[in-house]
Amino acid sequence: MHADGAPPAALVLDQVSHTYAGRGAGVQAVSLDVAPGAVQVLVGRSGCGKTTLLKLAAGLLPAQAGQVRVQGQAVTGPQARVGFVFQAPTLLPWLSVADNVLLPIRLHRSPLPPEHARAAALLAQMGLQGLASERPARLSGGQQSRVALARALITQPALLLLDEPFAALDAITREELQQALATLCEARRTAVLFVTHDLAEAVFLADRVCVMHAGRLCASLPIQLPRPRRAALRDSPGFAALCAQLRHELHQPEATASTRAEAEAEASVAASSQPGAA
Amino acid sequence: MPRLTPRLLHHRDATGRLLLGLAALALWEAVVRLAAVSPLVLPAPSQVAQVLVQSLASGYLVPHVARTLAEVLLGLLLGGTLGFALGLALGESARLRRLLMPYVLLTQVVPKLALAPLFIVWFGFGLLPVVVMTALICFFPLLENTATGLQHTEAAALELFRLLRASRWQTLWRLKVPASLPGILAGVRVAVVLAWVGAVVGEFIGASQGLGAVIVAAQGSMDTPLMFAALALITALGLACYAAVLAVQQRLLQALGTRAPLPA
Repeated sequence: MHADGAPPAALVLDQVSHTYAGRGAGVQAVSLDVAPGAVQVLVGRSGCGKTTLLKLAAGLLPAQAGQVRVQGQAVTGPQARVGFVFQAPTLLPWLSVADNVLLPIRLHRSPLPPEHARAAALLAQMGLQGLASERPARLSGGQQSRVALARALITQPALLLLDEPFAALDAITREELQQALATLCEARRTAVLFVTHDLAEAVFLADRVCVMHAGRLCASLPIQLPRPRRAALRDSPGFAALCAQLRHELHQPEATASTRAEAEAEASVAASSQPGAA
Repeated sequence: MPRLTPRLLHHRDATGRLLLGLAALALWEAVVRLAAVSPLVLPAPSQVAQVLVQSLASGYLVPHVARTLAEVLLGLLLGGTLGFALGLALGESARLRRLLMPYVLLTQVVPKLALAPLFIVWFGFGLLPVVVMTALICFFPLLENTATGLQHTEAAALELFRLLRASRWQTLWRLKVPASLPGILAGVRVAVVLAWVGAVVGEFIGASQGLGAVIVAAQGSMDTPLMFAALALITALGLACYAAVLAVQQRLLQALGTRAPLPA
């Protein structure tokens, strides 16, 4: 498979399609790959298929065409090596913060002492030390989102999928959580596929931002900002320029997509007009 | 004016409630005395209280209270368990719901009082027919609330459990049941109240013991004050059971960190 011995990509989508009967564009022939430790961000308007793409990657939805691979293996259902963070924290109100974090392990067996230690360490890194035995209802929205992030990371997944996890938070808390996520993933070399419609969030987190429109990826922008990323980066001219460029791409997608479709059509015409070529 | 804290407001309302009840009793007493109403038609509250204290002190009512209480508790246990179990099955399977729900409704629409003579034929006289009657009445609120609660589990939480590769059994017991607990416990509250209705109605038809049987016997001997005394006792015991369930469930929901919907 990999003759050169390089590790397989954390996530590969190979011409993946999924359409819902009777509504929306779904996802149409999308190809994308996320290298180990890389952060890929997906931006686009509501209803462009971002969440569907994430669910395909998580194995929550079956690909109707094409293939999804995580670490080189085909995905047929939810995987232990993939962590997922929802739009809402989705914590269980009757479990303590620590038990919520350990839920992915507890559903399969009793957590071992090192796993308890890892949960405590994750909570400490998120600034939640001392809250381990509290109920989620006593936490603020930002704290609940941190717990959800810790829960996704407790199994040390190779790939973390996030679906607008910070969209409901206020601007300051959101920036704090972006910083926490960046720090954690840089330290662990966790590959990330992050869906958002917040352009500054996309640029701050990403190694690469893809723009999605009507079920297709229509642009891809590498973000070559230095790591580790810190809050001061947001004030740099380079950051602002990338945000502007991304905004421009977002306003252009129809033109780009249609140009590409025309190009594809021309290519197929060219191919069919040369029967002897194959 | 002093600021009214929630606690003060609560005390004010409780006092108001008590005064309202006392005023109604005083009015009843006054009407009976001034109009010289026959105790056969409407005994004064003071007379009812006197009969109640006497028949409790003499030990006459004690076995009847014990009997009705036993019927209520056994009926609640039987009906509640069956209702919860069937509610789990119907909440989990849409197919089973379509198949069984019409028949479940049938058992609730049939007038229970009309079934009582049949129960005597089937189960004889004594404890069993009354317990079955009570169970039949109690099981529906638990079935309905359990089945509805399970079906309304938050979609995102269900997706989380799918992502974590939880089995159907785990999803049921570690997500759907705890999430539905406030509704299920509300069903228990309704069932507790209905259990008293079921037991007393059951005793009307074919029992020689129990508070319902006391009412029937008192009617036979034209002892209206005793009828009222039995009625007062049934009401007080019913309220006490409700209050006990409420206290237990508040404690339980607090321990589970779920906010309890308080009855008005």
